[in-house]
Amino acid sequence: MTAKSKITRRTLLAGASGTLIASRAAWAQQPSEVKVGLLVPISGLYARPGTVMREGAEMAIDHINTQGGVKALGGAKLKLVVLDSGDTTEKAKNAAQRMVAQETDLVAASGAYLSSFTLAVTEVTERANLPMLTLSYSDLITERGFKYVFQTAATAGSQARQALPQIIKLAETASGKRPKTVAILTDNTGASIASAKAMREGLLAENQLQLIVDETFTPPLADATSLVQKIRSAKPDLLFFLPTVISDAKLLLEKMNEFGLGQGKIPTISFGIAIAEPDMLQTVSPELLQGVLTCVASWGAKGHEALIAELKTRYKEPWMTQNAISTYGDMWVIKDALEKAGKADRVAVGEALRTMDGGPSKYYPLGEIKFDEKGRRVGAGMTIVQWQAGVPVTVFPPELALAKPFWPKS
Amino acid sequence: MLRMRSLLPPLLFTLAYAVVSLGVTNSYYQLILTLVPVWAVFGLSWNLLSGYTGLISFGHAAFFGIGAYATALGQIYFDISPWLLIPVAAMLGGIAGLLIGFPTFRLQGHYFALAMLAYPLAILYVFEWLGFQEVTLPIKRDAPIAYMQFADPRFYTLLGLAIMLATIVLTQMIERSRFGMALLAIKQNEAAAEAAGINTLAWKLRAITLSGAIAAAIGGFYAQVLLVVTPQSVFGMLVSAQALTVAMFGGVGTVWGPVIGSVILIPLAEILHAEAGARIPGIQGVIFGIAIVCVILMAPEGLFWKLRDLVRKRSAKATTDVPPEAAAANVTTLKPAARQRAAKGEVMLEVKNLSRSFGGLKAVQDVSFKLHKNEILGIIGPNGAGKTTLFNLLNGFLKPSQGEVLIDGRNMSGQRPHVICEAGIGRTFQVMRPFLRMSILDNVVVGAYVRARSDDEARKMAADAVVRVGLSAVADRVAGELSTKELRLMELARAIAGQPRILLLDETLAGLGHGEADEVVAVIQQLARDGMTIAIIEHTMQAMVRLVDSFLVLDHGAVITEGLPEVVTRDSRVIEAYLGKKWVGHAAN
Repeated sequence: MTAKSKITRRTLLAGASGTLIASRAAWAQQPSEVKVGLLVPISGLYARPGTVMREGAEMAIDHINTQGGVKALGGAKLKLVVLDSGDTTEKAKNAAQRMVAQETDLVAASGAYLSSFTLAVTEVTERANLPMLTLSYSDLITERGFKYVFQTAATAGSQARQALPQIIKLAETASGKRPKTVAILTDNTGASIASAKAMREGLLAENQLQLIVDETFTPPLADATSLVQKIRSAKPDLLFFLPTVISDAKLLLEKMNEFGLGQGKIPTISFGIAIAEPDMLQTVSPELLQGVLTCVASWGAKGHEALIAELKTRYKEPWMTQNAISTYGDMWVIKDALEKAGKADRVAVGEALRTMDGGPSKYYPLGEIKFDEKGRRVGAGMTIVQWQAGVPVTVFPPELALAKPFWPKS
Repeated sequence: MLRMRSLLPPLLFTLAYAVVSLGVTNSYYQLILTLVPVWAVFGLSWNLLSGYTGLISFGHAAFFGIGAYATALGQIYFDISPWLLIPVAAMLGGIAGLLIGFPTFRLQGHYFALAMLAYPLAILYVFEWLGFQEVTLPIKRDAPIAYMQFADPRFYTLLGLAIMLATIVLTQMIERSRFGMALLAIKQNEAAAEAAGINTLAWKLRAITLSGAIAAAIGGFYAQVLLVVTPQSVFGMLVSAQALTVAMFGGVGTVWGPVIGSVILIPLAEILHAEAGARIPGIQGVIFGIAIVCVILMAPEGLFWKLRDLVRKRSAKATTDVPPEAAAANVTTLKPAARQRAAKGEVMLEVKNLSRSFGGLKAVQDVSFKLHKNEILGIIGPNGAGKTTLFNLLNGFLKPSQGEVLIDGRNMSGQRPHVICEAGIGRTFQVMRPFLRMSILDNVVVGAYVRARSDDEARKMAADAVVRVGLSAVADRVAGELSTKELRLMELARAIAGQPRILLLDETLAGLGHGEADEVVAVIQQLARDGMTIAIIEHTMQAMVRLVDSFLVLDHGAVITEGLPEVVTRDSRVIEAYLGKKWVGHAAN
């Protein structure tokens, strides 16, 4: 859009001689500071998760800078530029346009929480050749043939595929018998629908599970009685519960308890972060939550103990959700890409991200710091988190688990 | 000439806007410059229905979203270019308008507003259920222009401006035509409009169809700008609210309102979001809300009208030092003359055994009378006697439970009011509903359309009607500045502008002083002399005795007597109905 991106485009086309001149120019004005963007909702409905993402990013930037900054750039420090994506797709798109138009020296960015925001935002960043890392896990994000979007989390479809066998194994080892029947209770938001769809269309059958209750609701729920009644009469071995809104999670858990199905009578497995947000504890008692499992893209896990402790003291967050740890990791990935690119230039950073092979992942679950041709992280795993004594802790995969999972006794 | 003059401001505005936007290279500012015409057009589409008819729609997102999804899905599944899809979207929006309007226009006021609210919310869930939570427009790297994907964001702004200019011109054309007049008449008083010969349902359906088409077209363009379509971003409450906000802020019922609202509010919201929001997240919403509340408090009808009133006041102060008495004296006064009773001519209107009951209450029972050509019939009776109900039965507001209304020998009972108006019955109302911001002449034009074939003819007929009631000297003043008497005369002019043969006057003398009543009486007498047949309701006897040829007296919905004024006023049953039994004896003395 601006003079800068024009130069870079010409650079690409002009070939070797041009590259030489450009890189010499970059060398000549070696920056002491490199700007990294963070485009997340810090106002409106999604301000809470957005704020946690900012906390994760700030921590990472501090750690990188105190450890000597970007060495390939003569120890240049990273500087975080935070933009508010607001609470609508239009606001997110406007903010993205502002980011590429006014922060012309950004080398990469992270964002934008909700996958519909990320979809809109990346339409802008792609056209501006700005590399964008995201924890949003809609499959659509990396199915558009974009070159500058990098998905660090396993996609929604893949998460369900990974989680199901683990949950069955867990149930089998803990209770001694293999679950046969399941109920799905999902809201109709994008991520939930994607996970439920993957289960209905093959995953359940592959795992020899029979779907006996299948209910979709529109958040926010006013009353969960009829839903819970259906579950009580069908008596499934497992309940997959996919809420996005915290109040829905609370309402259903309380109603389950009221009907005598709570606290593990029917083991409840959720997808997504809603049921493990710190805000849950403000309205639901820890006893009700005890044993509830949820499958998330990422979580504070083994090896992150120091980070979890720092997040607790610095920001008073009770535990480290996927939003904090993923964004923390994003900053390190951008830093590594800068080291590889050797210059503070967004196109070069994009190229570095596409070609990098950073070895096993430290901050995202499993896999490597390496992206496939679609921009998806190679081998991206997921985590299963369980509420234990008022804290959701990572219980799967074993190499990252902070606690052993237990199967609620019926 | 008039057309050129009205075309010039939007052309100049669009040109100036285009020049400014061409100079902006920052892609973020350019995006804001693109969104301004988008929301302005959406506001204009809302204004076309709600601004002019007064039927508030809380659900314009329904059309906007249909357009956006049509444009997005057409590209994804059929690989059609948005250049084609946006017109298709407009067509779909128009059809949706028709489908939504037909059942919903049965409702009025708040009920209409609430019903409209339901449509986008219902459609939102349908699209979620269909699995269109997130739809992205495919990127076309090889043929960007053919798919409206410009590398230079200025093209989007220019395209948005072109749509805005087209919408403004269209709205202006409507505003000045029979279409706009009909909508305004509906806003003021739907019943009166229907009585003035306007087929209100047909015009409302046309308005919502056009409005839906424009909203869908701009929704399609918006999808093209945003590149991502989600149910919330096109069907959500905030989208419907956006149309209301820009229109109400800028001014309702004028073509400039939504444009002004959009030009101010859209950049303001963005600047607040970028500047204030960066310091205190969320503060932008608070400031934005307070700003809107303040403006609405100070200019409840919107900025445009406030500014126009200010300009008017200033220019009025500067130019007119003519004392108001002089202006009032300009009203041609006709002296009431002793009336020569008309000979009984042919029967214009015959009512046979007309009855209407509301549940157990018999509001009108078994009323029969004849109205002869050139006659003035006074229908009197105490409050609640059923006079206005009788009129409502005559002009079609109510369907009779029994009986017949014969106009020229044809039974017209049960017909819609505008049909009866076309058959030659005009009426005025007890409660006046003038269009306060319009000139007297414009107020009267509404009544002329029932007979006029063209806009010019309508104006001529209206001017003629204004002369006949003696208001020609003040014809250009806005109705808001008139006295009660002048408003009564104006209503009379509106009723006769459609050249009815029979005129039903509902308490035309109510609220007038002695001298004023005389002036109005004189005008009515003159109309009768010119060949009009008149039925007039009144409960004050005095002025009526001098005015009418004969009386029809109603009490408890039934005719108690009829005849010459001298006879009727002495009738003991009439005195009893008006004053009670004990006065019958006094009156006899």
